[in-house]
Amino acid sequence: MDYTKQIREIATKLFTEEKIDVFVGYRTTGFDENQVPVIITGLEEIPKLIFNDKSVFNLTNYLKQEHTRNKRVGLIVKGCDSRSLNLLLTENQVKREKLFVIGIACEGVCDDEGNKMQHCTECMFPDAVVFDEMVGTTHDARLYQVNADVRELASKSLVERREYFETVFESCIRCNACRHSCPLCYCAKCVIDQETSTLYHGANTTSSAFHALMTWSLHLAGRCVDCRNCESACPMNLPLHLLHKQNESVIYENFQEHMAGVVEGDRGAFYKYSMKDPDDFIM
Amino acid sequence: MSFETFVTDKTGLQKFYEAIIEKNETYAPVEKFGNFDFKRITRLSECNPESPIEKTRSIKPLFFPRSAKVMKYVATSAGTEIAETDKDPLAGKRVIIGAKHCDARALQVLDKVYSWDYIDTDFRNRRQNTVIVSTRCDKAAIHCFCTSLDYDVETLDAMDVLIVNGIDGKIYIRAKTEKGNAFLKNFPTIHDSQLPENEAAPALKAQYEAFAATFRLQMNYREVNEKLSKVFDSPEFESLSSNCISCNTCAFVCPTCHCFKISDEKVKDTGVRYKSYDSCNNGYFTLMAGGHNPRPAKYRRWRQRALHKFVYYKERFGENLCVGCGKCTFACPVNISIFEVVNQVSDTAM
Repeated sequence: MDYTKQIREIATKLFTEEKIDVFVGYRTTGFDENQVPVIITGLEEIPKLIFNDKSVFNLTNYLKQEHTRNKRVGLIVKGCDSRSLNLLLTENQVKREKLFVIGIACEGVCDDEGNKMQHCTECMFPDAVVFDEMVGTTHDARLYQVNADVRELASKSLVERREYFETVFESCIRCNACRHSCPLCYCAKCVIDQETSTLYHGANTTSSAFHALMTWSLHLAGRCVDCRNCESACPMNLPLHLLHKQNESVIYENFQEHMAGVVEGDRGAFYKYSMKDPDDFIM
Repeated sequence: MSFETFVTDKTGLQKFYEAIIEKNETYAPVEKFGNFDFKRITRLSECNPESPIEKTRSIKPLFFPRSAKVMKYVATSAGTEIAETDKDPLAGKRVIIGAKHCDARALQVLDKVYSWDYIDTDFRNRRQNTVIVSTRCDKAAIHCFCTSLDYDVETLDAMDVLIVNGIDGKIYIRAKTEKGNAFLKNFPTIHDSQLPENEAAPALKAQYEAFAATFRLQMNYREVNEKLSKVFDSPEFESLSSNCISCNTCAFVCPTCHCFKISDEKVKDTGVRYKSYDSCNNGYFTLMAGGHNPRPAKYRRWRQRALHKFVYYKERFGENLCVGCGKCTFACPVNISIFEVVNQVSDTAM
């Protein structure tokens, strides 16, 4: 998957026709295969742009950063990224008319070792669902798969699972990089940032990490698009996707096969009411 | 001043490590989720003293913990009672094995700030009671630039005991400080193999030269220090920081960052006060009561971070706060390199 040529052509067109002020894309680090997101402001920087299977980071995160605020933005989105963009649009965080979206029919991105990343092998929507221009060959519909790690963990006993998650929360260093790297965490003051409270405090204890991560994952339940920005940001390599994918599978099963951000204007499982919602917990 | 050097082989080194672990409270890099973090160990098999550079977290949390209890308090109608916390869990006599030399150096730099206008007794006690056994790297990782900074990696005495995997296949164990020299006397198994200085020095030098030749990144720190002191108003900071997502990872993995925040864990009327890491990349780091924030924009926070490492600390304490370990760059989710940033900004200086 290498769409560098197409991306550069479209970006050139956008800047020449003065349709955008800034363009958010990827560039190489210059010495290895990894890529650095880059916000370019003019035609002269277009040769920096690149797109291939190492373009991992979800760029919709930059829509909440000050360098794109109140500007007309050109943006590259893969399948998962486009779903988070869809949610940002639905939640009135960005204006559609200010964006020019290059949708990618994504073949999956690679990790440091060059293997296809796990969430790409299980991806249900590889093609961008919101775009102004599409790049690549679109895919046929795919079936939902429960995440392999979630399935494996579900087969273990409750005690084993508790022990496993205890080591996860114990290893957390509370840097909050997961939250900052998440495109859907845009609150001006986050609930887990409180300095004095019973549940949430800044200290790096197992209990505070538990409360912070669980609250965070529940705020993303029915919204997480599985882009794995949080995991790539985590300095301790914690398996954060387990929390999100578990939520996702429960919601998929119980709320009419809901997947976050696929339908434009869909507010998500927890924000709408349907007669088909499960009610067997009501007496 | 030089201390004794001993020569051994792989099994000898393993026995040396095992003897350390048996006799002392030992901390070493333990793998968890693919990362190596320094943890208390009781068996050599639990750890990897030669863990890969890019995946190893620093030893700083053993001296400046990620969260430390400052005090406990109980609020009653008569007033608030403050209780001393429990004994410092990191204050005992202990040994760290598998530390990288850049981490050890970072503590030497931090000593200055911790014994400046106020002496941090906790930090000082932890430093005094710890013996650091460090293995010199064989090969630089992609973001390392320790040889380009204001300390000589070859003669560095930040660790107490240095282990060198010589290019001749032998392993050299050398005391670097008085403390390290006294520590090595406890291990009679390696004592038979003492090496005279005229044989040890060339072997260590050869290994150092081979190691120093593997660096991708090289710079002249004097030039960078001087140029950076003139670029406070450089517009370059704004464009270079544009792709930073302010996630704080860099500061949390940095072996020299020492900013902290205070937070309380409260249950009804009792509480524990913690001192935990914080990062100047946080938007609310400089937020004051009343709502004023002197560093509201991302580029201002980035500038603070870069200049604190390479200008302010140097002006005050005579040393760079960056030790060139590359940890921030390895951990950065968007691969921003501090080396690249400071060099590009200083290139814009007149």
